[in-house]
Amino acid sequence: MNAYAGGRQSMGMYGPDNMGVGLPGEGEAGDIEQAKGDELAERRVLFMGLPRSGKTSILRVIFDGEQAYDTMSLMPTQQRTEHRLVAGISVYDFPGIDDFSDTQYSVLNPEIYAGEHTSLVFVIDSQSDIQSSLTTLFTVMRTAQSVNAQLPINVFINKVDGLSEELKQDIQHDIQQRILKNMGYENLNVTQVHVFLTTIFDQSIREALSRVVRYLVPKYSSLETILNSFCSKSSLDKVFLFDVMTKVYLATDSSPTYPPQYIFACQTIESMEEVTMMCSGFVPTSDDDAVLQRINVGLDGNDEFFIYQISPYLLLLCIGSPEIIRQTSLLEFNSSKVTKAIRQILPC
Amino acid sequence: MGKSGAGKTSMRSLIFSNYTANDTRRLGATIDVEHSTVQFMGDLNLNIWDCGGQHKYLDNYLNEQKENIFGNVEVLIYVFDLETTNRESEYKLYDECLHNLEAYSRDAKVYCLVHKIDKVAEDQKEATVESYRRALAKRSELFQPGVYGTSIWDHTLYRAWSQIVYTLVPNMAVIKQHLMNFCRLTDAAEVVLFERATFLVVCCTAAGGGDEDAITSKYMGVSQVIKMYRNMCLQCQSPFRDIQVRNKHYTLFIEPFTKSTYILVITVDPEIEPAVTKANIDAAKNHFIKLAD
Repeated sequence: MNAYAGGRQSMGMYGPDNMGVGLPGEGEAGDIEQAKGDELAERRVLFMGLPRSGKTSILRVIFDGEQAYDTMSLMPTQQRTEHRLVAGISVYDFPGIDDFSDTQYSVLNPEIYAGEHTSLVFVIDSQSDIQSSLTTLFTVMRTAQSVNAQLPINVFINKVDGLSEELKQDIQHDIQQRILKNMGYENLNVTQVHVFLTTIFDQSIREALSRVVRYLVPKYSSLETILNSFCSKSSLDKVFLFDVMTKVYLATDSSPTYPPQYIFACQTIESMEEVTMMCSGFVPTSDDDAVLQRINVGLDGNDEFFIYQISPYLLLLCIGSPEIIRQTSLLEFNSSKVTKAIRQILPC
Repeated sequence: MGKSGAGKTSMRSLIFSNYTANDTRRLGATIDVEHSTVQFMGDLNLNIWDCGGQHKYLDNYLNEQKENIFGNVEVLIYVFDLETTNRESEYKLYDECLHNLEAYSRDAKVYCLVHKIDKVAEDQKEATVESYRRALAKRSELFQPGVYGTSIWDHTLYRAWSQIVYTLVPNMAVIKQHLMNFCRLTDAAEVVLFERATFLVVCCTAAGGGDEDAITSKYMGVSQVIKMYRNMCLQCQSPFRDIQVRNKHYTLFIEPFTKSTYILVITVDPEIEPAVTKANIDAAKNHFIKLAD
């Protein structure tokens, strides 16, 4: 049974699959997702962790635009929830895994980890007992790797806001060591483990999620090639392909990506969105086509920004020196070519 | 003026220094009076007296120092704290301030800011401010204060301060006239002048008139967004300069204009090339600079 239904223009794509129904005893009458027979999208990120580790907060902030402070009052997630990214990638938020819930059975279903476009994110609360988080992580990893030894395992060390740089580095180092040691004992594959420091109070969650989904984006190497060519022909320093709604980047050229650069870019996009929202009075309501923006942000530093909106869901953000960015006609022409190429790969 | 903890220093730091709303948490109680001078619109020097609200200082202002504090005042801004447990003492202090103001600076303008309005539910905000408005109108017939609800967390603070400062700029009518001419000559839909340091809206016009208040309100939000973005750019070592937004429906420019202002121009006519608008803005700069002199 083939999974990928290519050619569909909708934002999210389900892969019809034969991935097995949930185990008996799991899911109650109101548990819609699992009652459907555990249909998971082909390209997926699984968010797991102990209860109250911050999974739902992270995803609400990124996908629903919720204010970080408001997520403190969230109720525990009862059932698996799905969030969709524009490239047909689904992010699944699992309820917290503990000894008292049925989730422990659902995450032990090895089939959810199968597939070459699957990625696991395990969220750890850095401000509480790390060892119990790690124990659960190891259990999950064992199950996962029994099916898919190449599964990328991304550990988000969450709630690091308010910790000093040194402390953050220490915690990251400590957790990395413990994971490697334990996986070594059990002879598990360590090549796909990545550790990130995250907090919902800044852009670190988006940066981390961008890195997680980068390899799940369909034909990401083609996208990278397109963006490389764009960069070199237009003499740009860096270009990002952003998902407008979540501000996660789906692709970038192959020059090194520095988190501060991405964070600045992210906040620039947010500010520009707010400015254009205030001017929305100039857009006639009769217009159904999306308003595609071209924005130049002039700065007195080394670089300026050029934002070219490809579609309501995707945009290109170019970073380059002022002389280059000010050649708007050249950039717009090249951007339109890139748009054509990207449209053949991603639905937009 | 206002009671201790009302938010006077936070407001001042937000608007006149480049504090973000979060940064204001670091502020401690103001000791006695903090004097600062702010240059506004190039040639206007605002002397801001941020009077600490603790009891021992208040006593001082209202007695020994009253002539010093309340003499030669152009504007009194009284900050009411919505979080206060003792509303009566706020009103009492307010009355005393007005009493002294009447004695030493009869021509002063009075503004009352109902601060921390973010603590009130959205649908209650207007009603809360209205009730303050009525109560204050009764207590201060001579001064007729302007009453605004404000919060450091949204654009309401910018709106209130824009109104306050608007009345202080000396040749506002002239500036407005010239801005309207500019608007007409460039075929712009709306033109707004912001003060450069604080990014408060100084003046705005729209082609063919239009509801001024609504337009001004809209741009208060822009004030806040640009100010916050500018702060962030500073932190990233890339100071903000200008913005150009182009799309099917409008072209928007936010550019530095004269030494002390920024200009925002929106054109909706698709026939007008952005480069032309930019050239127009550049050409007008000199004119407005001469005007300021």
